[in-house]
Amino acid sequence: MLFREKIHWVTLFTMIVAFGWYFINYPWQVVDMKAGVWATGAMLLVTAIGIIIVMTVATAFFAIRAPGEAHLKEDERDRVIHSRGTHLAYYPLVIGVWVNLGAAFYGLSQAGQINLLLATVVLAELVRIGSQIYLYRRGY
Amino acid sequence: MAKLPFDNDIKTLRFMAGEMTQGDLGEKVGVTRQTIAAIEQGKYSPSLEVAFRIARVFGKPLEDVFGWEDPS
Repeated sequence: MLFREKIHWVTLFTMIVAFGWYFINYPWQVVDMKAGVWATGAMLLVTAIGIIIVMTVATAFFAIRAPGEAHLKEDERDRVIHSRGTHLAYYPLVIGVWVNLGAAFYGLSQAGQINLLLATVVLAELVRIGSQIYLYRRGY
Repeated sequence: MAKLPFDNDIKTLRFMAGEMTQGDLGEKVGVTRQTIAAIEQGKYSPSLEVAFRIARVFGKPLEDVFGWEDPS
């Protein structure tokens, strides 16, 4: 498995665990209050720091184990795989944004909107990374 | 996944070029070993530039490396 593919797997698992933790432990009872916004900010900060630490350690670990692969330049197949993944992620992103716009008109709270947008971005990222892993595994 | 409408002789040409590895060919062409493997297996359609680069490594015209497989 290539360095780039390993990093994709680590990103996928890290995102599932980190945002799984976030959405399970979020205090949904205060989502309609100002405290909900603060809770979102604090928990998002913890989640982001956790992701950065895991990704930094994992990248360094795999780069030390295979320094040649880590410095390998992206080729045309990598670029095509990346753009196909990004293209597929565009759909959940757009749908999520429209749902959020609709929810805002119906009076969804500020924290509710932030969480809905966050869920949209996470879903789009999972689609992007997941489809790129699938394409790497398949060969193209 | 739909099969590509063309075939290639890269594996044979590598063998005839002193058992060149996929990694060696990838290095000469400027792509990864995995990309060469995907091209060989007919999973990935390379750009015209990479196709020409592969042919140039073996000193062959493009038609000797890649051949169109007419499905009709």
